[in-house]
Amino acid sequence: MALKPAFVTEVQEAVRAHAKLLPRGGGTKTALSTPRAEQTVLDMTGLSGMLEYDPGEFVFVAQAGTPVAEVEKLLGQHGQYLPFDPPFVEAGATLGGTVAAGLSGPLRQRYGGVRDFILGVKFVDGQGNLIKGGGKVVKNAAGFDTPKLMVGSLGRLGILTELAFKVFPFPKATATLKVTFGSLEAALEALYKLAVSQFEFYALDLEAHPATLTLRLGGLSEALPVRLERLLGFLGNPAEDRRLVLEGEPERGYWRGVNRLEFGEGYLVKIPIQPKKILALETALSTQARCYLSAGNLLYLNWLEPIAELDSLLKTQGLSGLVLRGSTSHDVTSLESPFIGVNLEQAFGNRVTAALDPSRRFSPEP
Amino acid sequence: MSLSANPAGLLADLARALPQERLLSQPAQLTPYESDALTAFRARPCAVVLPETSQEVLETVRLCAKHQVPFLARGSGTSLSGGSLPIDGGVVIGLNRLNKLLKLDPQERIAVVQPGFINLHVSNAAAPYGLYYAPDPSSQPVSTIGGNLAFNSGGAHCLKYGMTSNHVLGAKVVLPTGEVVELGGESLEGLGPDWLGLFVGSEGLMGIALEIRLRLLPKPEKYHTLLAAYDSLGKAGEAVAAVVASGLLPGAMEIMDSLAIEAAEAAVHAGYPMEARALLIVELEGETPQVEAEAKYLSEVIAQSGPYEVRVAKDNDERMRIWKGRKAAFSAVGRLSPDYIVQDGVVPRSKLGQALSEIERLSHQHGLRVANVFHAGDGNLHPLILYDGKIAGELERGEVLAGEILKMCVALGGTITGEHGVGMEKKEYMPEMFTPQDLEAMHRIHRSVDPDELSNRGKMFPSGEAPALSHGAHPLEQAGVISRE
Amino acid sequence: MQHKIPVSQLGPQGEIMAHAIEACVHCGFCLPACPTYTVLGEEMDSPRGRIFLMKEVLEGGLNLEEATPYLDKCLGCVGCVTACPSGVAYGELISTFRGWSEPKRQRTPFQKVFRMAIQETLPYPSRFRTAATLGKLGKLMQPVLPQFLQAPLNLLPDELPMAQPLPEVIPAEGARRAKVAFLAGCAQQVLQPNFNWATLRVLAKNGVEVVIPKGQGCCGALSMHTGERERALGFARNNLEAFPPDVDAIITNAAGCGSGLKEYHILFHGEPESALADGFVKKVKDVSVFLAELGLKEPPALKQPLKVAYHDACHLAHAQGVRAEPRKLLKSIPGVELLEIAEGELCCGSAGTYNLEQPAIAATLGERKARNIIATGARLIVTGNIGCFTQIQTHLRKLGKEIPVMHTLELLDKAYSG
Ligand SMILES: Cc1cc2nc3c(=O)[nH]c(=O)nc-3n(C[C@H](O)[C@H](O)[C@H](O)COP(=O)(O)OP(=O)(O)OC[C@H]3O[C@@H](n4cnc5c(N)ncnc54)[C@H](O)[C@@H]3O)c2cc1C
Ligand code: SF4
Ligand code: SF4
Repeated sequence: MALKPAFVTEVQEAVRAHAKLLPRGGGTKTALSTPRAEQTVLDMTGLSGMLEYDPGEFVFVAQAGTPVAEVEKLLGQHGQYLPFDPPFVEAGATLGGTVAAGLSGPLRQRYGGVRDFILGVKFVDGQGNLIKGGGKVVKNAAGFDTPKLMVGSLGRLGILTELAFKVFPFPKATATLKVTFGSLEAALEALYKLAVSQFEFYALDLEAHPATLTLRLGGLSEALPVRLERLLGFLGNPAEDRRLVLEGEPERGYWRGVNRLEFGEGYLVKIPIQPKKILALETALSTQARCYLSAGNLLYLNWLEPIAELDSLLKTQGLSGLVLRGSTSHDVTSLESPFIGVNLEQAFGNRVTAALDPSRRFSPEP
Repeated sequence: MSLSANPAGLLADLARALPQERLLSQPAQLTPYESDALTAFRARPCAVVLPETSQEVLETVRLCAKHQVPFLARGSGTSLSGGSLPIDGGVVIGLNRLNKLLKLDPQERIAVVQPGFINLHVSNAAAPYGLYYAPDPSSQPVSTIGGNLAFNSGGAHCLKYGMTSNHVLGAKVVLPTGEVVELGGESLEGLGPDWLGLFVGSEGLMGIALEIRLRLLPKPEKYHTLLAAYDSLGKAGEAVAAVVASGLLPGAMEIMDSLAIEAAEAAVHAGYPMEARALLIVELEGETPQVEAEAKYLSEVIAQSGPYEVRVAKDNDERMRIWKGRKAAFSAVGRLSPDYIVQDGVVPRSKLGQALSEIERLSHQHGLRVANVFHAGDGNLHPLILYDGKIAGELERGEVLAGEILKMCVALGGTITGEHGVGMEKKEYMPEMFTPQDLEAMHRIHRSVDPDELSNRGKMFPSGEAPALSHGAHPLEQAGVISRE
Repeated sequence: MQHKIPVSQLGPQGEIMAHAIEACVHCGFCLPACPTYTVLGEEMDSPRGRIFLMKEVLEGGLNLEEATPYLDKCLGCVGCVTACPSGVAYGELISTFRGWSEPKRQRTPFQKVFRMAIQETLPYPSRFRTAATLGKLGKLMQPVLPQFLQAPLNLLPDELPMAQPLPEVIPAEGARRAKVAFLAGCAQQVLQPNFNWATLRVLAKNGVEVVIPKGQGCCGALSMHTGERERALGFARNNLEAFPPDVDAIITNAAGCGSGLKEYHILFHGEPESALADGFVKKVKDVSVFLAELGLKEPPALKQPLKVAYHDACHLAHAQGVRAEPRKLLKSIPGVELLEIAEGELCCGSAGTYNLEQPAIAATLGERKARNIIATGARLIVTGNIGCFTQIQTHLRKLGKEIPVMHTLELLDKAYSG
């Protein structure tokens, strides 16, 4: 059963009327938006649209069900973009779903992830109250930072209805350099060197097979060629057959492809990681499609085996993961929890959850 | 204080838990802790505890919980909103001796520090590796990471890379109930609700951070620091809007008005143009070729904004002087007036000019001078309202003026505080921004973490206890332990 | 900061104190600059805390006796003044407060004798010489003496140099470029007479005629900073009379004396000699400043390059703002590589009689300074103050390092003489 509210008051009514609720945006993260037995789905796409956007301010306010694609299109018309680079744009991800899932993409390397750009939030708590947090100016210290709290909350603390973000100007020109290395170790070593260097990257991605670094530069077009040259020099001028420079439409197309995170059959899992943990994890992985974003801090991994195996692998590596998608509905409904690996629960979180959702309407557990 | 509070019992237990010289309870020991950098408020704690280990902090918190006596963490006491104002009769937990750098991993670009570690010392420690810690509140040579975390402090260079919250990866925290939790992690990315994000900026109401993991950034290759002098504050405000709209993304954009220039110049001899009515500092940072190219655009945008003089820092020394002056400006204003109130409202950047004119008007109306020195790129105003507490009525007029400025910020679509926090000072203005329901929800979150409201009781929420502007008998006096004869 | 100090009852000295307190905005920028806060980590041992304490005492909200333990720990190094953006005249505040409070203090008979002994010996070279010689006797008995008597003895040299009386005039070598009057200092004359001789030689070499007024005495700084205001006034009046008006400058080579002389206008605030004192103060210059302004005759190159660390004496750097000039002089010696000491702005713990009164903190600071000095790798330490000289030498030795220490002018003198 799905409800599709068109007004915030309808969200509030729905919350008060249902014992178990699951908000859904574009449904692009199936593992997070497929209801359990007793859950009523709240289709949030009815609450859609930009509410405030003054390009000169670099801030916008939109309803939570607004498709990211719509936002990006409007921003793009003014040379602006969402610096945290949410994935699944083409597939129909919404702003609310992106925040609730806590997802960022390759461009987060430059200025940060979704938590770093959210300014304000309105949400309906577990008792049906509409609550506001934060504001719509780029800096605000009044009250608790509930906007940040909502990042990654999976709809379990409240149902997002409205969001405010700050945005940045998109660089006038970009270029992407792909460099392959003889080994993963060599690629990691280069990654470390680059990450502490004075070069500034819009993206700094690592792929394991073949060991490749993908570096995206952005800025004024007149400076870009020199910067690219300096960068190649820094990398020891890799041989022609080990490097590839992308520019113009092919470059943009490449990144649109990355944004889809289309790794084929199986589960798609988000795993926060650190570069120092990559080698150990890699020894346990084989052909799974995957990509490490943001200088080795964010792994998107494709998993074909039973999820319990990944769960125990992550535990042995001291990592945690969030299952985002499964290719079949069975994959998804059979999941005990989208959280796998090391359990991150703690008293602080439990207390705050209970405060916002005392009747556990948003909890997937019975 | 709640009825069940037992300060005498707490003091007895603390005396057993801590060596005598680190449990302060004599009047001369307590007096200096009665205020933070907002001296209009004072309150006397029943004791000041100076722990040297996390364990001692934990124990103190647990004893406070046991005896139901409110407590407050204190870093360097530089809060400008009464954040580190003691709770009358409560305990102050001074964290400045917990000032160790626990770990510095240049490769992973991480520093782990104790809460009393000084902000500037993080960058100093990271400097040999070409790294730095980005958030730079003007108080950075003094203020602690614990205090920065509690107030989500910002600074001149937070335009591009954000405030404290954007640079804290994790924290080990003792909750007011005495439980210890780990928030956040080691990665830049996280999973599940951003608990750490909620804790940062919670103004000490949710417990005490014992260890804090910070993210370090590589130092920019090149800085380009430009000074533009204007004959009006409005023009400087509009210049900021123009730079923002141009699509340039400077690392910092700051404005000082003539009073602030006068004070800062007297303090550090920065070499500012003294006749300017307003001074705009814009700093570009990044890769050299990029910065050099951006500098050309910046010059064009600035030229069109009508400055009467533009200067660019020739070398690092000159750059440092410019920033030293800017960062000393708040304190330096103490040269102009015995007392002042610093406000911290934010307005949309396109409304800066309008806001500044309105402040000027209010200043005339109330007959009090207002100095302005602020983070213009963020729209974060810092009007310093100058008054003389000895002149009857000036403080009250100043407070009215401050309130009107805050209301104006909210009316323009902004907020009552950008970085100094609500603390004690602005809590009565929270209803300007939030509905009773919003506040009730925050209160619910608060009480879930601190059911007895022990941690920094009475701050941030408008319904909190009023501060004690004068103090009564010391609890030890009441208990007959000390007397003041 | 607001206050309710009854200024009218306190008179001119009250104005000075109230003015300083008023200027403090409680921002805490002075905390990291304060040696006692750095070591003790307590608000009441910080400048901000002390200002608060003094305010409370002056307002009557706190008993003097309760505040004094913390005020007594203040070194008077005025590192806080350098750090304070608000221009709080802390040095004037603490000196004045000490003067105001001293008569009200209840000191134990022993403290009284101890203080009297200091006040009656240190300012008088001949008495000090006698006392120091007696001190040598004390050294033999040191193991059986109480802790608080050990500290002063530790700082006494094993051998006192011979007394060498200074002439009344030293003529300029070559064309006379300036004429100055010289303050010879007290303890320094006895402990390190060469400081003065080196200074006089360098001045003469640079075409400066120096007169050494006969009637001069102690500058009074010691008394001023320990609250003995009347005694300080006595010394100062004597000097106002003794120093001739027809000189280009009044020169000192001891940082403490220099800053003491420069405080005469505060000392005489509200006194009949106030205008005279103002004029006097304008002429006072540290020898390094005078030489740097005059333009130093370039010394010949050193035989081999030398790594030199310059230690900022608080009474030069903080109290008089003299940092660049001594460095400039040292750098003008070809072959000198000048090194900076980490935490250079932090006091070494010597600070006048502090060593005698707060030996534990003084020792902690001394060791900290010595370690920072050792870390520079310098082969020679240079400073412009006798107190620092002794303190640094003592603590370097304690750490087993025999790095030579010199006065700035001694190195210049050596450079000229090859
Ligand atoms: C001259 C001046 C300039 C300033 N400039 C800026 C500026 O540019 N930007 C800015 O943002 N602020 C600025 N401030 C305000 C102030 O410096 C900051 O709020 C700073 O973060 C406070 O740090 P502190 O160590 O002094 O904390 P304190 O004032 O001691 O404490 C502040 C709050 O933090 C809490 N706290 C302290 N430690 C912990 C801990 N370990 N765990 C939990 N809570 C804790 C306290 O309970 C209190 O509520 C300025 C202040 C001054 C005086
Ligand atoms: S720096 Fe100056 S104004 Fe600030 S607290 Fe210290 S003495 Fe007061
Ligand atoms: S004079 Fe020195 S010791 Fe005294 S308060 Fe100032 S900095 Fe601290």
